[in-house]
Amino acid sequence: MNVRGRSVSAQQLAAATFRLREIGLVAALAVAVVFFGIRSQSFLTVANWQSIALNVAIVVVVGVGEMMVVLTRNIDLSVGSIVGLSAYLSAATFVHHHGISLGLVALLAVVLGIGLGLVNGVLVAVARIPAIIATLATLSIYRGIDAQVTGGGNITAYQLPDSFLNLASSKPAGVPTFAWVAAGVAIVGAAALRWLPWARDFYAIGSNPEAARFAGIPTRRRVMTAFMISGALAGLGGFLFASRFPTVDAVAAKGFELDVITAVVIGGVNVFGGSGTILGVVLGALLVATIQNGFLLLRISEFWRLFFNGFAIVVAVTIDALVTQRLQEMLRRRRAEVLAAKHSEAEA
Amino acid sequence: MSSAKHAAGRLLLRWETLLVVAIFGVGVWSTTLSPFFLKQANLLDLLTPYVFIGLMALGLTFVVIAGEIDISLVANMAVSVVCFAQIFAAGANVWVAGLAGLAVATALGLVNGLLVGLLNLPSLAITLGTLAAYGGLAFVVFTSQEIASFPSDYTELGGGYISNEVPVALFVLLGSALVLGLLLHASRFGRYVFAIGSNREAARFSGIPVARVRVTVFALCGLMAGVAGVVYVGYFGSARADAGTGSLLDVVTAVVLGGVDIFGGSGSMLGVMLALVLVAELRNGMQLANVAGDTQDIVIGVMLLAAIAAGNLLRAAQTGGVRPGRLLQRRREVIRHEAAEAVVPPRFDPQNSKGR
Repeated sequence: MNVRGRSVSAQQLAAATFRLREIGLVAALAVAVVFFGIRSQSFLTVANWQSIALNVAIVVVVGVGEMMVVLTRNIDLSVGSIVGLSAYLSAATFVHHHGISLGLVALLAVVLGIGLGLVNGVLVAVARIPAIIATLATLSIYRGIDAQVTGGGNITAYQLPDSFLNLASSKPAGVPTFAWVAAGVAIVGAAALRWLPWARDFYAIGSNPEAARFAGIPTRRRVMTAFMISGALAGLGGFLFASRFPTVDAVAAKGFELDVITAVVIGGVNVFGGSGTILGVVLGALLVATIQNGFLLLRISEFWRLFFNGFAIVVAVTIDALVTQRLQEMLRRRRAEVLAAKHSEAEA
Repeated sequence: MSSAKHAAGRLLLRWETLLVVAIFGVGVWSTTLSPFFLKQANLLDLLTPYVFIGLMALGLTFVVIAGEIDISLVANMAVSVVCFAQIFAAGANVWVAGLAGLAVATALGLVNGLLVGLLNLPSLAITLGTLAAYGGLAFVVFTSQEIASFPSDYTELGGGYISNEVPVALFVLLGSALVLGLLLHASRFGRYVFAIGSNREAARFSGIPVARVRVTVFALCGLMAGVAGVVYVGYFGSARADAGTGSLLDVVTAVVLGGVDIFGGSGSMLGVMLALVLVAELRNGMQLANVAGDTQDIVIGVMLLAAIAAGNLLRAAQTGGVRPGRLLQRRREVIRHEAAEAVVPPRFDPQNSKGR
């Protein structure tokens, strides 16, 4: 009995690990803020933080969808291309249909994203193509379609209605509209992952796909759903992107998937699937956007940022794997102790 | 066992025959586009711009057969190109600088290998990270925009011709393919790679030094990225930090279209080389037809997806149309059948046993 009293339960252990991860992220964020605050006078201004908030918001919106896919032990590399295509088509819709409402265009962007996400989902779940290869191919295909649609041209801010351009700069209650949207997406996502059975299935599939299938979870359909959510949110992200960076051409948001995946992975979402929190993704997005902004202010090359993103992914994955291995070892030892205790009790 | 071998042999035969047929088909299409396509010089020169892609594909083949993936190799090539050029610009002999480039590329591959092979981290996430990290590094290391003053006896390697017709780069590619083909198909190391790719646990239990082989495979892939870089600089005559950007799709397509199982454990060098010819021919044909680069990517991407989907279907057909789900159902039927047939052992009856 004392064996059981001394050690903690598996759930408590896992929860403690998560908390540690989130505390670590907050600490890294604090270090970054202090560093950039000392080095640049314009870093700790309200205007700058509102600008950071806009970038964080887009990464969070797309990141929540990416996270759902990663939870199912898959990955979606095509989100950057979906954001780019959706950004261009959103802007083009405003140009060609004067007076169209913002909500309708946003809805069209989401529908476009669902369609592209469905293609990814079918390739992965039905054609059984590994997600990394399938979405690497659709990354090129969607970007190619984008190039076809733009035809080498671009849309500039002059052609867009003011209501759309003002979306990025509007601040109801002092907080940018984008931040409200991102908060909404994050809260709905977190609630779904907490309470909706089909969303909880993502965790089950990621932890053990075979077991999930034997438990009667329609894994194919769930994986397709995850990709459709990722596509939908990338579509919405593209709509926001076009409002934030209103000169849209065929290379818009190229490489954006890397920012998103970095945020998700350093946010503690396990690349093996099965674990991760929305709070982690938000913190990861904050860190990615803060460092992007800080590097920009300090005029550090864009390429150091690229290097940082890659390095952060490698470090996060390494730490995750080592912690998981240690955790599993601890649990195994604990189980052995409990069994031994039971055995000796039975002997006596 | 032998029937499985037969089936595998048939599949290989069929897949590679399919590739050859496709190569002829695209060739006929290209001839209708331009009468110059069938000229001997054009045919010989067809592969030259794709030699660096082929060299990377040869390296990646080992990694994929071992059941892993390395998407960082294009960025690895960029770093090695940049280091090579930088060392050359600092006054070193061009061949010494080239060797240094190879060493850098091998070291970067080794980093991937140690993370994946020794720490058992997922190669997908790790090489996605190093793709970005190496990509950034190439720009950070490179202090100039472009270095383009390479001696001509070196650039011959990538862009030169023997008696004005046969490209030198073709020999580099064929030589590498031959050596690596022998290493893959006729050496103990190659057999280890196949064994690890089909079942890593089983390979470990049968005494194969799994960690060492996996690390080596990634280092080899890095080395081939370095060789690709050396040829790349020779072909373009200049080094830039964005060297090879956008070639990842072609490299992966050559490997997967070549019939290498994306889940590891099977594949052949011949298939990869045929797939490279097909990709090169297709891109060449689309250029003749004035198709833009981004649109070409759509075609190549669709081809990559179709190749894997077709491979999955073929494999399903090989197993007699039995898909895992149906297999499971069949097993249940057999068990039920056996249970019904089996003689039910008499229940233990205490009263009867007393009588005995």
